[in-house]
Amino acid sequence: MATLQKKGFLIPRLLAAFFLFVIYPHQLKAKIQFEKNILPILERSCLKCHGGKKVNGEVDFSKIKNQTDADSQYELWETVVEVISAGEMPPEESPQLKEKEKTLLLKWHQEQLNSPVESVPGNFKPRRLSGPEYRNTLRSLFGFDLKVAVAKAQQTVAGEESLVLKLLPKDPPGASGFINDTHAASLSPVILEQYTFITDAAIEKLFAPKQRSQLQYLMGENLPDEWRPEKISQNQARSLIKNFIPKALRRHISKDKININLKALNKLTGIELLNALKFEMKVTMLSPEFLYRGLLMEKFPGEQKSVDAFELAERVSYFLWEDRPDNELMNLASNGSLLKTDILTTQVERMLKEPQAINLAESFGVQWFGISNLDELIKNPISHHSLRNQPVLFLNHLFTKGRPVIDLIDSKTTFVNEGVSGFYGQDRGRMKRYSKPKGIERTTTPFQEFTLEKATWRGGIITMPGILTMNRGPIQRGTWLLRRVLGVRLGEPPADVPPIKPSPRGQKLSFRERFERHRSDTSCARCHEKIDPLGFSLDHYDVKGQFIQNKENLPDASGKLPTGETFKNYSELKEILMTSQKEKIIRNSVERTLSYAMCRKLTRNDQPTVDRITKNIVKENGTWKDLFVEIVNSLPFRETIFTEEIKG
Amino acid sequence: MSNSWKIERRTFLRGAGAMVPLPFLNLMEARATKPIIGSKEDTSPVRFVTLFKPNGVHPPSWNINGGTENDFRMSPLMKPFTKHKDDLLILDNMGDFGFSSHSNSTRRFLSGHHGNRKTASVDQIIADKIGQDTAHRSLELTTEGLFVNQIGCSYISYDKKGNSIPRESDPQLVFDRLFRNPTQDPNRREEFTSLLDRIGEDAKSLQRKAGKEDIETLDEYFTVLRETEERLEKINAGSRSNVNFSTLKRPDTPVTLDDQVEAMLDVMAMALWTDSTRCISYMLGNSNSRLIFDFLGIKKQHHYLSHFFRNFSRSNIDSLLKISLWHMEKFDSLLTRLKSYKDGRGSLLDNSVVLFGSGMGHSDNHTAQRIPIVLAGKGGGMLKTGRYLRYSKNQELGRLHMALMQKFGIDQKSYANSSTPLLGLDGSPFDEFQERPFESWVNKAPGTITAQGRLRMSDNLDEAKVFYIDVEGKTSVRIEISFGDFHSFNVAYHVGTPIKLSGNSSEKNGQLVINKITGITSLFGNSKPGKANG
Repeated sequence: MATLQKKGFLIPRLLAAFFLFVIYPHQLKAKIQFEKNILPILERSCLKCHGGKKVNGEVDFSKIKNQTDADSQYELWETVVEVISAGEMPPEESPQLKEKEKTLLLKWHQEQLNSPVESVPGNFKPRRLSGPEYRNTLRSLFGFDLKVAVAKAQQTVAGEESLVLKLLPKDPPGASGFINDTHAASLSPVILEQYTFITDAAIEKLFAPKQRSQLQYLMGENLPDEWRPEKISQNQARSLIKNFIPKALRRHISKDKININLKALNKLTGIELLNALKFEMKVTMLSPEFLYRGLLMEKFPGEQKSVDAFELAERVSYFLWEDRPDNELMNLASNGSLLKTDILTTQVERMLKEPQAINLAESFGVQWFGISNLDELIKNPISHHSLRNQPVLFLNHLFTKGRPVIDLIDSKTTFVNEGVSGFYGQDRGRMKRYSKPKGIERTTTPFQEFTLEKATWRGGIITMPGILTMNRGPIQRGTWLLRRVLGVRLGEPPADVPPIKPSPRGQKLSFRERFERHRSDTSCARCHEKIDPLGFSLDHYDVKGQFIQNKENLPDASGKLPTGETFKNYSELKEILMTSQKEKIIRNSVERTLSYAMCRKLTRNDQPTVDRITKNIVKENGTWKDLFVEIVNSLPFRETIFTEEIKG
Repeated sequence: MSNSWKIERRTFLRGAGAMVPLPFLNLMEARATKPIIGSKEDTSPVRFVTLFKPNGVHPPSWNINGGTENDFRMSPLMKPFTKHKDDLLILDNMGDFGFSSHSNSTRRFLSGHHGNRKTASVDQIIADKIGQDTAHRSLELTTEGLFVNQIGCSYISYDKKGNSIPRESDPQLVFDRLFRNPTQDPNRREEFTSLLDRIGEDAKSLQRKAGKEDIETLDEYFTVLRETEERLEKINAGSRSNVNFSTLKRPDTPVTLDDQVEAMLDVMAMALWTDSTRCISYMLGNSNSRLIFDFLGIKKQHHYLSHFFRNFSRSNIDSLLKISLWHMEKFDSLLTRLKSYKDGRGSLLDNSVVLFGSGMGHSDNHTAQRIPIVLAGKGGGMLKTGRYLRYSKNQELGRLHMALMQKFGIDQKSYANSSTPLLGLDGSPFDEFQERPFESWVNKAPGTITAQGRLRMSDNLDEAKVFYIDVEGKTSVRIEISFGDFHSFNVAYHVGTPIKLSGNSSEKNGQLVINKITGITSLFGNSKPGKANG
């Protein structure tokens, strides 16, 4: 399936090549050609372990057959170039590359990077709703949540509450790293069975007496008190079908199609009518059009086109809400006005004010920063609640309250409750205190928005206690910062790293000193010279994330970045992050957000979009809202490429 | 048949005396279908059900004091299930020496000893024996979510390696799995098949106008539909049960914990009756539970209240007793349901063994002695019920488990720390607790009384601050004192034991009442307990 996805780039690529040929024919001639020059080197020296008999380190060159394939793997080439320049690959015992070959590879890579790339949207592919998307869609469609009946005490762990999330297998992150990238998570009989189970439960509940108002809403009719489901009339059943199906399928549905459902109700009454109605609703909810996104989209085989207004509504609502479009979006899609930039922009502003916008932080934010790592680490549910929700609330604040993108790194605003108030030194005195009622031994306490004054060592996401405790040592902290905040790609550490040696006899070395000896090897240094200064800068925060104050013999938190900039501790590093590293951080934010919004890994063809948005945000000190608006109006979001039709 | 069946599940009112004039029995007879199970020889299989009560007990209100095997007075907390006395086997002096953590006590309940962490719990061993022919080997149920930081408090059932078995808390979910599952119910299977057919048909029209990417997706979808259909076809159409599952009423969505538990008990009884399973373990809560019983009007956490001595106040005791009473009512509710189903020659309860209890005795000081354990049901004749067995010496729960296994035909040389089965369950002789004899009397003087006899709490837990001294041949002396007296003389400590008590008195309608204590002497124990043990 992955190869097919890549093949989709063939057409745009050919078009693009044609375009380039017309305007810059000389450039094409000058190029080192992948098929002719590079592929033979790979086949000779790499394929044996990477795509031949073995696929080591998940690197598979057998899948890369031409320039187009190569283009879609631009991250891989960065690693290839790194390991080859460092002499790590091919491994010592294997035949080495000739100097000429090395130079050719590096030169080809440079050309790759420098060659202009045109902005091209991704090609269309239907995508199954992720577990949370499916849950939210059901919730907003029916107006109730399907909950597992489970008594909750303050010690109880959350997560068993949603019937949907309990029954569906957990979505693995896709190539993008996000779980809404479900392209590789295929449907299975088990999942279908669970969908069936959930569908039954939802429809049963809709007809229960307690959900009468919801049923009335979906039916578009008030029902008298003495009404019972078995008494349903033809008209009532028909209007329920007519209202329900377009809402469920998230677009206008043709009369012909709805008539198929309506036909099944013909001439039935009483319990038989009710059962037929339920059956038709189940048919809808188990149909691929409901379970997948994009199947009913207007198609233009072989063309690059703007997506239709309903698809746009879906894209924006699953992006900002992780949920189906609401009535307002559906209406704007029906009359086509959603396609207008200003209308869409206004909608983004509105949507960020709705409660569903919390899902941006809850889903996108949590996945981006790996906050769910705390779930395994902190077993005490009350501490877990505090440490985990603090960064989520902070991100929600940035995303929905029009805060600048760079506030991620430094902000006077934070969110505190009793579980984290102890991390804020003297500022704690100004916090609203919460006292437990008598007889309550343990309880979670509510969060309050709080403006920092004295605790200058906090502010921004990096120094939140939950984040610091999630990444316990300097190496974990440095890696996290580098990958998640600065967006630097790091390879996996080699498997055969020896343990860090203790201090030699008679010397008392700090962990940092011992570690520096340990990693003096060049192959380690390649990553560690980037990781370590960042990680050790946070050494004035202990494993729990507490800031160590007024203590003698503080560990050395100073460092020097590969750029040559030096700092004495994290607060000086933060200055650097806010200035010279600002663009890098914003670029990473743009990339992550775009990738989440598109539910896919970015390709080189997205780079012009990323470049443009980054530039705008940096220039204007843009906010998260600006970023979201830029994204929903960008080419990859607005357009798609349809592959050619296959006559079935 | 369809409409005659409709029963609104009743909301059981607490303390409403005789509960549940159950409609099930009539209904079953009206159905005129033969009881499914064992119709050949008319011998029904024996079922095994366990019901776990969290957070130990409040001994003064739970313990039976005095009394013998066939002549005993049930304690105030046992009131809700006193009506089942003939079907009960109340065990006393069960447990271990010393004290127990919540987590250890939870393990002990079905695993015999807290250190028994590498073998299956008794319900699972029995399920292996009796659960092989049913659609579901066993059900593991609960009310609460997991306590990740005290994971041992969340499980009573453990597999062969001693690992916890996931449990289910939602009655609708359990019901649907048992009775609305296409693999179990032929009607459902039919509906599901036609659903799959129809979806497949509809999706084909999509395929006609699809691009390559859609085709790929739809191919995957069709493959799954086909595989599911094939699997359904393979399922043997011959259902084991001749009950038409579609006539069973699906429980409503519970609002309170009480709804949730009642609904689950309903589902459990149906599951046993339809022989969908023969072995169920159900936790009324996690041990160490901090549930707030708001539907009983209680605002404090259960665990806090269960430490009734260190967190002593009269209203706390009242709240704790309300919660405990609710647990007892749920036990009653289960028994009443099982009795209402006809099964073979008797009721479902006659063919079941229900094990009710906890893994901890005293909920404040966590002693592992005098753990509340009650067996109910005759187990098809394997148990001789209607008795109270107070053993002379402390009996480890492992011995009880061995005895139960033996009854179910499982030969085991030892279990947990025990190597011999508990005696007496089937009426065989056992070493009964012998109390030191004492005399009881009452001496009246103007305005004062001295009485000697056994102290007990009032049977009526609505007046939990009232105590009685039982005097042979006379009306018991009522003790109705201030909190100050109660506290400084540590009255609760003496409950269940013989004492000599003097105080200021009055007399109402022939009832002697002590209003103020001037002295308490314990006949055999520590007369000045201080503040140890409530």
